[in-house]
Amino acid sequence: MRCQNVLYVNFLGKGVNHLKEFKIIINGTERKAVQGETVLNLLNGSPDQVPHVCYHPSLGPIETCDTCIVKVNGEFVRACSTKINNGDNIDTNSDEVREAQVIGMDRILFNHELYCTVCDYNNGGCEVHNTVKEMKINHQSIPFEHKPYEVDQTNPFYRYDPDQCILCGRCVEACQDVQVTETLTIDWERERPRVIWDKDVPINESSCVSCGHCSTVCPCNAMMEKGMEGETGYMTGINRETLRPMIEITKGVETGYGSILAISDMEAAMREQRIKKTKTVCTYCGVGCSFDVWTKGREILKVDPQIEAPANGISTCIKGKFGWDFVNSEERLTKPLIREGDMFREASWDEAYNLIASKFTEIKDKDGAQALTFISSSKCTNEESYLMQKLARGVIGTNNIDNCSRYCQTPATMGLFRTVGHGGDSGSIKDIEKSELVIVIGSNTSESHPVLATRVKRSHKLHNQKLIVADLRKHEMAERADLFIQPRAGSDLVWLSAVTKYILDEGLADHDFLQQHVNGLDVFTENLETFTLEYAEKVTGLTQDTLIHLAKTISQSKSVCVLWAMGVTQHMGGSDTSTAISNLLLVTGNYGREGVGSYPLRGHNNVQGASDFGSMPDRLPSYEKVADKKVREKYEKAWGVKIPEEPGLNNHEMVQGIHDGHVKGMYLKGEDMGIVDSNINHVHAAYEKLDFFVVQDLFLTRTAQFADVVLPASPSLEKEGTFTNTERRIQRLYQVLEPLGDSKPDWEIIRDIANRLGAGWDYKHPSDIMEEAAQLAPLFAGVSYERLEGYKSLQWPVAEDGTDTPILFKEGFPFEDKKARLFPVNWTEPVEFGEEYDIHVNNGRLLEHFHEGNMTYQSEGITSKTPNTFLEISPELAKERGIKDGTLVRLSSPYGNVKVHCLITDRVKGKEVYLPMNDSGEAAINLLTSSYSDKDTDTPAYKETSAKLEILMEEGVSPLPKTNFRYGNPQPQVGVNVEKKWERKDYIFPGDAVKKERNQHG
Amino acid sequence: MAKPIKNVQKQTITAEEKRSNDLREVEDALIQNKTAILQTLEIMNHMHDKGILPLLNGLFGQGDKVMDIAVKAMDKPENTNTLKNLLLLLGTLGMINVKQLEPFLLKIDAGIARVAEYKDTEEKTSYFDLVRSLKDPEINKAVTILMQFLKGMGQETEHIEKTTGNSPQKRINQSKGKTLE
Repeated sequence: MRCQNVLYVNFLGKGVNHLKEFKIIINGTERKAVQGETVLNLLNGSPDQVPHVCYHPSLGPIETCDTCIVKVNGEFVRACSTKINNGDNIDTNSDEVREAQVIGMDRILFNHELYCTVCDYNNGGCEVHNTVKEMKINHQSIPFEHKPYEVDQTNPFYRYDPDQCILCGRCVEACQDVQVTETLTIDWERERPRVIWDKDVPINESSCVSCGHCSTVCPCNAMMEKGMEGETGYMTGINRETLRPMIEITKGVETGYGSILAISDMEAAMREQRIKKTKTVCTYCGVGCSFDVWTKGREILKVDPQIEAPANGISTCIKGKFGWDFVNSEERLTKPLIREGDMFREASWDEAYNLIASKFTEIKDKDGAQALTFISSSKCTNEESYLMQKLARGVIGTNNIDNCSRYCQTPATMGLFRTVGHGGDSGSIKDIEKSELVIVIGSNTSESHPVLATRVKRSHKLHNQKLIVADLRKHEMAERADLFIQPRAGSDLVWLSAVTKYILDEGLADHDFLQQHVNGLDVFTENLETFTLEYAEKVTGLTQDTLIHLAKTISQSKSVCVLWAMGVTQHMGGSDTSTAISNLLLVTGNYGREGVGSYPLRGHNNVQGASDFGSMPDRLPSYEKVADKKVREKYEKAWGVKIPEEPGLNNHEMVQGIHDGHVKGMYLKGEDMGIVDSNINHVHAAYEKLDFFVVQDLFLTRTAQFADVVLPASPSLEKEGTFTNTERRIQRLYQVLEPLGDSKPDWEIIRDIANRLGAGWDYKHPSDIMEEAAQLAPLFAGVSYERLEGYKSLQWPVAEDGTDTPILFKEGFPFEDKKARLFPVNWTEPVEFGEEYDIHVNNGRLLEHFHEGNMTYQSEGITSKTPNTFLEISPELAKERGIKDGTLVRLSSPYGNVKVHCLITDRVKGKEVYLPMNDSGEAAINLLTSSYSDKDTDTPAYKETSAKLEILMEEGVSPLPKTNFRYGNPQPQVGVNVEKKWERKDYIFPGDAVKKERNQHG
Repeated sequence: MAKPIKNVQKQTITAEEKRSNDLREVEDALIQNKTAILQTLEIMNHMHDKGILPLLNGLFGQGDKVMDIAVKAMDKPENTNTLKNLLLLLGTLGMINVKQLEPFLLKIDAGIARVAEYKDTEEKTSYFDLVRSLKDPEINKAVTILMQFLKGMGQETEHIEKTTGNSPQKRINQSKGKTLE
């Protein structure tokens, strides 16, 4: 029912008013309809609703099930794929039509055994069950017959039971055209068709990335999450040997499906008593997927994405769908720990709080408030970010507060502040989806922002979207691109500027836009003088033809979106390159409307929100400057304290401050900075020098090992709050589970610490914190928990009346004259470590692990597929040095060294290697990285890392098991190829079958 | 100099402490649910007296085995057929209109009473007696009723039969105007 409502809402949302309305006749009664609508959508929710099984609102018509057959103007057609025309006469309930529908359903039941009461999928949502009921079917003419295939249990996360598979093809449609991994197909040629993976291999040996789309859209129990097996029903846990005869008995005694369905409906209702379904927001990247989590006690049965989820709809990736085992890990911290000699001792909260309060006070009294530093987390909620900066500024009296987006996207924010005034994505994921041209720069989107990438892959595959990818590495997006360019490492600013210059020189710019909405063209043009095609060719290695082709493609496209990530920002000129991207978009008029804009893809769930809510050394919530007296006064009045006017230290400066001796204490939450900061040997040495160090986390991380007090925090599933995704979308998360052991939500811990320091805070729920923040921060004026209920969301700026802003800059840019600014930038040459360091070490994420892997290695399934990191080596380099799959090498930079096993792949070329960051031991990438950083924001220049390579052991086992999807063999096709089904000799369209029979009898 | 450490000394609670904590928890629960618990005890006492408790104990203690045996015993054609017939009969009983049936049953009863009275009679009925007896209003009424009954029996009932009808065409008729709930 829920789906239908949503569908209706979506449908209205598409703007009914613009479309032509006309009259049609349904079962003899006249009705209004809208052009372009399908018969099925028109009828949905009305009394004349037709049954349907394969149709899914997020997948569209698949045309395999034949249960939605109706007669339009006397002809039998499928309601799902038939569009309405003026004056159509539709028959949905004559005997002939009903007969055709029943034939369709009969064929489904030939493929699917109804043992609902002992089926784990009998939770009220089984579409086969519900359609049998709706159609009042009591018997079937062709009895169910087993298929000659075994259940495929090989994948650790889901199983496929061919015997229950009704061959509707939803899973194939989702895999081919929504997720676009292109693994699943149905082999229609066999006597008994079935779903196959790649060229018919076991699931676990295929290209399947375990994103879970197939199990999410399956209408029955054929493709099902393993967490559900034997867990959901009261009788589904019964031994297989007992279960089979039970099913046979039920079938033996059934006098019609009516009684079976009634009993299973009762049982399904009973299940509601013990299965809880709670909405949450994923924490694995900045896309902001939301979904229901099904739990039984502390057990997670499945993650169930909902059509109405604003960012992701039915989509998830492997981590969001299956990566939550860490929540129940035995390694979770459950009590505060206090350092005692060479041990941590478990302690009470009281003792920990008292110790923290007395130490903070002692340092403040002795060395001043500026000797204390605070690091907030981009994994925590907006409310927690707000409280952490309030603790630093309002209770301790320092602006030394930062968050870990300093390690990733602060340069992008800087680039956007300089040019367009808002540091966030200009539009929504929907805009990226409908853009004519998408340019991806320095972003491994399909692994780092998997669900967002699916939208690009889909538009590219089905809707002629053009895709340009600029990267060092030939990742999936590069493979799919219409144009893949590989400029020299760190030279993006140069080709971007040369292309911009060419566009201006050749008169290809959007002059109207520049004139009406942009300042600074003259100075900017003058500064571009250096960036000639010849110069760019020399620096970037891209040919002049390529540069001209780029310029023409960009300027000729009606809408352009640029997506970028760490490949741009983690350089010494990261802010400048981000600025150059924004400049190019301004020159071509790609701001302030649908389908265009700049999209710095945020890496964590709340990279955006952590900064939005003030965990920055120079800015208060809403990016208002600390240096601004008026702003300070507003907060001083609200909080009743004095706020220091000097901006504080950022993460990078804090570490340096410890080494320099003026930073004495640190309170860090939710960030394994000791692994993810660059040059970690340097960072560890700093930790050792701290007088007092408090770390708040889920696990005893590498960073926590240096702490004096470790506080056990609760992860997202154990608390309430809000996150802001990459689209500036604020979404609520609800508490799925109780905090484990004595762990607590971060906001409670910060509140309690503040109160020990005499703050007198009275927050009882995160909504109290949001209420305060909304009153003070103009960007969030209209944000409230009521407006964010369930799957509702708001994209900032949010006006007081609750109006939000899905697309920025429609009403101009947030500067005094409403005009954007072209900001001249120059190229900063990347760091060279010296000639002996001849290998360029690119680094970044993998799809299946989150960062160093603290959370994802807790998943047995993920660990089985990707047990450790590896070093990607090009075939050329492998040949030159005599390296094979599994060879153990040492990489050494001036800052440290790593030991890692090699994997040879053409994703990298020449002396370029790729070291994924999922290791916290000897292969941790940041043992190699330097302390060089972006000159404007201090974001570490992770991507400017070189090393020398030595072979330690030539022979070794490949570090990547054969069950990893990277060895797979995808089989691209559009949809499920239903035509192949229709071509089968044994297939006859139910409408034709009915006609034939009527002719014979009549 | 804070060197990284991994050792955690777990808070240990003595067996004594744990016991007293657990006891307090149980005590609290007892007090909070006093009435319900006392009533439950009373019910359990009755169940014990009637031998239900030991029976359940055996059943639950060997749950899987008992279930397996029961299921396998039931899964024999004669047993499943019995169950099926029972279910069908139950379904059919539900369709009989008792209001209509009552006068019919009363009449049968009266007939039986009469038969009981005349059971030892030596009287013979000739063809003419039979025709003549149609004039007897009681007999005439009985014959009329029987004729109506025979007519009813001959009616088309296929559309409401539960055990037959397997073509889509037939099944549309079956399900017309009915729900499965």
